[in-house]
Amino acid sequence: MSNYFKTPLTRRQCLSLLAKAGSSSAVLGAAGIFGLTNIPVNASPVALKPLQGKNRKVLILGAGISGLTAAYELERAGYRCTILEASHRVGGRVLTLRHGDFIDELGSPQICPFDDAPNLYFNAGAARIPAHHTGILHYCRTLGVELQLFSNHNKNCYTQDDAAFNGQPVRIREYEADMRGFIGELLAKSATAGAMLDQPFDEQDLDKFIQFAQAYGDLDSSLTYRGTDRAGYASGGVTTAGILKQPRPLPELLRSDFCTGAMHFAEIADQAPALMTPSGGMDSIVKAFLRQLTTPIQLHCQVSNIQLQPQGVAVTYLKQGESYTEQADYCLNCIPAQLVSGIENNLPADYVAIMSQLGRGKLTKIGLQAKQRFWEQEDIYSGISWTKQDITQIWYPQHDAFKAKGILLGAYSWEPQISDRFAAMTHQQRLATAIAQGTKVHANYAQHIENGVSVCWQRMNHMLGCGAVWTEELQKTGFKLLQAPAGNHYLMGDQLSLHPGWQEGAVRSAWHALADIERRETLRSTGAQA
Amino acid sequence: MNKIWLVFMLLSSAVLADSKQPDARYCLVCHGSAAQGNIAIKAPNLTILPDWYLRQQFTAFRNNWRGSVANDAHGKEMQAVANTMNDAEIEQAIAFIRRQAPVKLPISVNTTANVQHGQQLYQQCQACHGAQGEGNAQLHAPPLAGQHNWYLVQQLSAFKNGWRGNQSDDSYGQIMRQFAQSLPNEQAIADVVAYIDSLPSTQSSLRTTP
Repeated sequence: MSNYFKTPLTRRQCLSLLAKAGSSSAVLGAAGIFGLTNIPVNASPVALKPLQGKNRKVLILGAGISGLTAAYELERAGYRCTILEASHRVGGRVLTLRHGDFIDELGSPQICPFDDAPNLYFNAGAARIPAHHTGILHYCRTLGVELQLFSNHNKNCYTQDDAAFNGQPVRIREYEADMRGFIGELLAKSATAGAMLDQPFDEQDLDKFIQFAQAYGDLDSSLTYRGTDRAGYASGGVTTAGILKQPRPLPELLRSDFCTGAMHFAEIADQAPALMTPSGGMDSIVKAFLRQLTTPIQLHCQVSNIQLQPQGVAVTYLKQGESYTEQADYCLNCIPAQLVSGIENNLPADYVAIMSQLGRGKLTKIGLQAKQRFWEQEDIYSGISWTKQDITQIWYPQHDAFKAKGILLGAYSWEPQISDRFAAMTHQQRLATAIAQGTKVHANYAQHIENGVSVCWQRMNHMLGCGAVWTEELQKTGFKLLQAPAGNHYLMGDQLSLHPGWQEGAVRSAWHALADIERRETLRSTGAQA
Repeated sequence: MNKIWLVFMLLSSAVLADSKQPDARYCLVCHGSAAQGNIAIKAPNLTILPDWYLRQQFTAFRNNWRGSVANDAHGKEMQAVANTMNDAEIEQAIAFIRRQAPVKLPISVNTTANVQHGQQLYQQCQACHGAQGEGNAQLHAPPLAGQHNWYLVQQLSAFKNGWRGNQSDDSYGQIMRQFAQSLPNEQAIADVVAYIDSLPSTQSSLRTTP
């Protein structure tokens, strides 16, 4: 069982592991989440000056969020765009699965078996948007994407760990109330015993600090934790007196790895409440871009050659067995770096060498259709239950309460070994595993689940990975090199941000490239060498 | 299970076109735009491999001779694809690979390897793989010259540690495994690969169809 909260972690380890979930801002912290993109978080989006009759053509390779962002901004400024997409669909890793959708996983092709109903959809890729992701939210606002709240943290969800509570699921509400109680008690008692921080701390501070510890843990007047209604009542509490639940003993709480890992998930900057998600599925953002674009997106176009030319870029691609070549002033390349590494090109060797060293993000998500919204019978509406098994998480839909059926997220792991294990299974084995493991969280889980989809991102055709994996060393030596243009070729996508796996990274990478094109066009119009 | 699945896919005719890949262009996603290999995916150069060897390896993946070990993520990737292909699709894929025009490969030289020592070690290889690394169809030994050095290192290690050649019905794999085990360490593997790397590619003469 290899799981990210297998062993107690230092804060640094914890943050670096959680960063794999696509939350690198937690690691970067106050250094500025977009330090290397040179665009402040609150900057207004790139404004390209209208070409005013000049003829400029841009080839955009890939119709995910970065490609769509670039196409939208370029079209508005009068650039001619050609958008080539290798797969059968638009959106990249913004993948909302519904009835009948084709899931193009190498070796495990599936057709989404969900019932045909508007509420039965599954965000197999991007799923949530924090409020400080102002780039993607800019497009949600200006293109009319309706948002709803999305919850990572729901106290009524469960934590399950075979090492604690006889493997029984425990409400997060109870676990956290007890954990805070004991922490509060320990804090209050060590403060009264004179254990001090290495900071100036007067009597008044001490008094306030003890009050804080009392409030933090909901301690009684003797600064002792004896249970709290924060954990919910064992019985009563509305028309009859509430009976408190017995606190679980601290050693038992500590046997669960929840306290060293997932309990703090929603503390991460990108994962903290309040989060948002588009109503009806994340692909509402893709559809919003498509409503604006006049350039048709050409599907099934697989790039086979990228050649820098003195005045532009030539790209050859395969479409239905035929080879075509297009030339343009600029090429915005959103193809995953690990695939560019296998495409014939005359890009600088050091530039391609960095691409071939980037790791392939391994992530697996499983979506399950439930006959009944059984979680609502357990007072759960939205949020995440956590388990130490490979499935790691169960998500409950934040939308369409009380409808007949619903789609659960039945597994989501960003631990590479876990994702490898899921990848090695057939689709049916993955579903069986998700159901068997989910049964430890919800008894009778199996009888509620009708069908499901599984998406191993490292196996998805034309992607073969989810979010580039930069080592710290490679980031130092290679990030700026890849971020800079090679001739008139720009590599883009969330892979060229410090937010791999987030739409915000994709938007910002596009803005970064567009800002450079704008700079070069300005130079060109003044007659200078760009 | 696969048959049931296929029937289901056939019924879903709206998406059928998307699920069937004309000209096996799936191959080029991993193996590079001209099947020349891709180091980032650890996918080998297919253009140097003759039809009989490609066919043999499809069999190897389908028979669980390759891709059976839990840690062999790359082998498992190819195995998953091989398992979804029928014999006709395999022949289509091989024909598709044959049509790819050879491209020049980037040269990466291992400066810490001893080519002379590698040449000595290669003495035992050449009986099957040929003095020029050209391969031998009768002996079911693939050509080596022109293959990426990182792939040769990877596969020698795979034979050595039992990821390949560890199944009783895989006789050719078992033979190769014995030779790989005779290479004492990583340096020996690097040396023999450096020597193979110095051999000129015999690619054009190996093409069995235009």
